[in-house]
Amino acid sequence: MTDRERGTDLTAPVERAARLLSRGGLDFFDVYASYSRSMRITIMGKGIKDTGSSTDVGLGVRAYKNKGLGTAYSQSLNPMDVEETTNRAIAYARAAQPDPFFREIPGPSKAPDVGGLFDEKVAGLDMGKVGKFAKEMIGAVGDVRPGAMHDGGVSAGCTRSYFVASTGVSVKDERTILSASIAATYKQGQDTGSSFEFEYGVSLPEVDFAKVGKRAAEKAVEQFGSRKVESATLPLVIVPEPASSVFFGLMAAISGEQVVKGRTFASSLLGNQIGPEWLGIHDDGTLPGAVGSATYDGEGVPTRRMSIVDHGSLKTFLHNSYSAGIAGVETNGHAQRGGYGVYVGAGPTNVTVRPGDSSLDEMIAETKRGILVTGADFAPSMVTGEFSSTIDEGFLIENGEKKHAVKNLMAGGHILDLYRSMDMISREGRTFGKGHFFPSVRLSAVRLSGD
Amino acid sequence: MDKHLLESAVRKGMEQGASFCEARFFEERGSNILVENGAAKTLGSGILSGMGIRVIVDKRWGFASTNAITPTDVERTLSDAIGGARSIAAEGVEEAEVVDQKPATDSIAHKVKTNPEELDPEYKVRVLLESDEAARTYSDRVKDTFTTYRDAVTTAVVHNSFGTYVEEVTPRTYVYCRVISKEGSNMQTGIEYGGGVGGFEIVSHLQDEQFSRKAAEKAVKLLSARSPPSGTYTVVVDQRVGGLFMHEAFGHNCEADHVLGGQSIVADKMGDKVASDIVTIMDDPTMPKNGHFIYDHEGVRAEPHVIVKDGTLVGFLHSLESAAKLKARPGGSARARSHQFPPIIRMSNTYLAPRDMTFEEILEGVKLGVYLTGMNSGYVETQKGQFTCRVEQGWMIEGGELKDHLRDVGINGLTLDALKSITAVGKDFKMEAPGTCGKMGQGIPTDAGAPHFRIDGIVVGGR
Repeated sequence: MTDRERGTDLTAPVERAARLLSRGGLDFFDVYASYSRSMRITIMGKGIKDTGSSTDVGLGVRAYKNKGLGTAYSQSLNPMDVEETTNRAIAYARAAQPDPFFREIPGPSKAPDVGGLFDEKVAGLDMGKVGKFAKEMIGAVGDVRPGAMHDGGVSAGCTRSYFVASTGVSVKDERTILSASIAATYKQGQDTGSSFEFEYGVSLPEVDFAKVGKRAAEKAVEQFGSRKVESATLPLVIVPEPASSVFFGLMAAISGEQVVKGRTFASSLLGNQIGPEWLGIHDDGTLPGAVGSATYDGEGVPTRRMSIVDHGSLKTFLHNSYSAGIAGVETNGHAQRGGYGVYVGAGPTNVTVRPGDSSLDEMIAETKRGILVTGADFAPSMVTGEFSSTIDEGFLIENGEKKHAVKNLMAGGHILDLYRSMDMISREGRTFGKGHFFPSVRLSAVRLSGD
Repeated sequence: MDKHLLESAVRKGMEQGASFCEARFFEERGSNILVENGAAKTLGSGILSGMGIRVIVDKRWGFASTNAITPTDVERTLSDAIGGARSIAAEGVEEAEVVDQKPATDSIAHKVKTNPEELDPEYKVRVLLESDEAARTYSDRVKDTFTTYRDAVTTAVVHNSFGTYVEEVTPRTYVYCRVISKEGSNMQTGIEYGGGVGGFEIVSHLQDEQFSRKAAEKAVKLLSARSPPSGTYTVVVDQRVGGLFMHEAFGHNCEADHVLGGQSIVADKMGDKVASDIVTIMDDPTMPKNGHFIYDHEGVRAEPHVIVKDGTLVGFLHSLESAAKLKARPGGSARARSHQFPPIIRMSNTYLAPRDMTFEEILEGVKLGVYLTGMNSGYVETQKGQFTCRVEQGWMIEGGELKDHLRDVGINGLTLDALKSITAVGKDFKMEAPGTCGKMGQGIPTDAGAPHFRIDGIVVGGR
């Protein structure tokens, strides 16, 4: 972000909107505006396909009258459009019906700056440099094995935002994001070997472009010779990337309005044992330099470190002010604001799973027959908790050894059964975005549908 | 929209060394209402607008976008696009090219019977409350009801260095009812929805069909359904699952950017038999469904596309670039989510063409199988040809008859194996799966349809 771009004024339009809203006879309101600048390189086929850059600016308003909510947003910050946006939000708030669950929006709080969320080097990248990162990633794929076709890209961006509320909250934020992803696909006769790798972070050192390319290619080559396996109930050994979907599946189900209104499979689980005694999960929005961190959440409430699952027992839900009001507790700083589009939900920040004392190799060695899952999404239905997921990438384990790749295989069941069947967890794992940490886990028995 | 700004951007782009330049204005004005358990909880609206500029400079693509449409911002955006293209000139990039086009000049405004923008929000709320009420009163096992309404009018103006200048204004309206049922600790969900190109008359029509009550009925009946068996089965699918299958399992493989990028399993199969003889697959943006448009976002007039004819692969979906590289006609398949994205190849209204069997005839002869209805979600790994579809509900088929009711069903298959294993295609065609397809970060309106049809050897996931 250049000095000129940093000078793009968010303060005047936000404060103008706040002034207009304060005259609207509302009970509560908040205003959020952001300015983002991003660039990306698209990789397709044999190499770089194109470049793109985007400037995105917008302002969103939430207005409450008699517990009814009106919202409006616009991508223009000029005074007339700001006025029209606030007028629409006020009119809608008056037309909305009372939500008996709404209490209030939070007041101001003070918290120490989390820090490390803005990297000058990322903000100062130009397209030429981003292109070199993409070339480095593609080169690493070719170093493992030439002849790949690619699909992916590199992107870098920075966002500046300003948020005020009628309760006195005023939060300014500035952050950067850098990401890289690549799928490598090789052909060998009629056989295909294909896989995908990614990395993201706030700062430049968080993304090793050559490593991303190398891992994608190595994993792709391993997928040659995939075979169908028979339906059975087998142990699964799940590496950190797909294991993250098991943990995020729970995090989504314990977040916000839906869980406290009894609409998720986790609504009645507070205080219950959901996994083995050794299972521990934390959420921590205060980790310096982590992608999920922020000094304040989407409503201006300080983020914090919280124990979510301790000794296998679910300790808390993740709240914004609305869900906290329903539950009769204080919000715990998990409001998530989806930009100026005005939707404010709730969800995790940085999720870390306590490592265990096994290694991935030991988990495989201790599995007589099972599946090593290296690619899958176990996200369940939020209401029922049931999932039915394809093992996108995996390997048969026989007599404690990794064998051939598998295809055309699904896993099905209830996500809580996955938690109950966790019997090993690794000491090593993978950190994503300098915040999330997931080890590998073994599940003792999962129903698989195959040949 | 100031026409002069678009013309100026294209002219200056060419003056600054572009061999192709395209400037595209986009605006979307929309409103939304959420009714939850009989109360209009939230009313909202939003406006997206801006300009995207795409150039070919030194045989490289560059794209940039801005929300601010002032002469200064447009010039800077053009400069970003040109600078981006030049910055990768030395990075081993595949050369960019577009197929020559005759200039098109046109202005399209899709008609609506009832313009949502002219309706009082309180009237819309009253109508939605009636729908919500119908769902809430269906049964005492209905726990929660949600009726979500959204309308949006998009304006896309495309001008390029071929001299094309087309403007298309498209209203779309959607309504969606979700019901959660509960009995003891067992909770289930039922959904019904509709929408597409049109106005508030879409909501009225769905109300006549008691769509919210159908959602409630589904949710309540699923309380007594059981988990599906796991294994490989003969599967019969309804029109929504069939449409999802055609879109996910096969359609994405026929997008020519996937073909050129080595990400399609049918890249080298043009003219080959890829499906059984009874399979004809189309993508038709001219049908007045959710994926409907007259001009794509490269300014190319849309045409119906035959992809598979009687089991033989006969066509891909093209952009100006893929048409140039594969020596094809573009046909109008490139669209962008907004000005913030470049146009890429997208499906529109994708479907399996009907044949002549009845539903009962399709079920006949299935000793043990699964009947699947209602789409939930899906995805495909095009490079591997492996697809996954999650559906709303199913029934066991035993001896040609529907038996136990099933919930939480997913299917998986290998695309080419599955297409060759389609053994019966019905005549009861419907296209009623308006949705948003995601690709490269861009969600775009699409629709999908089929008659009932039967596939052998599909993996059904269950407990």
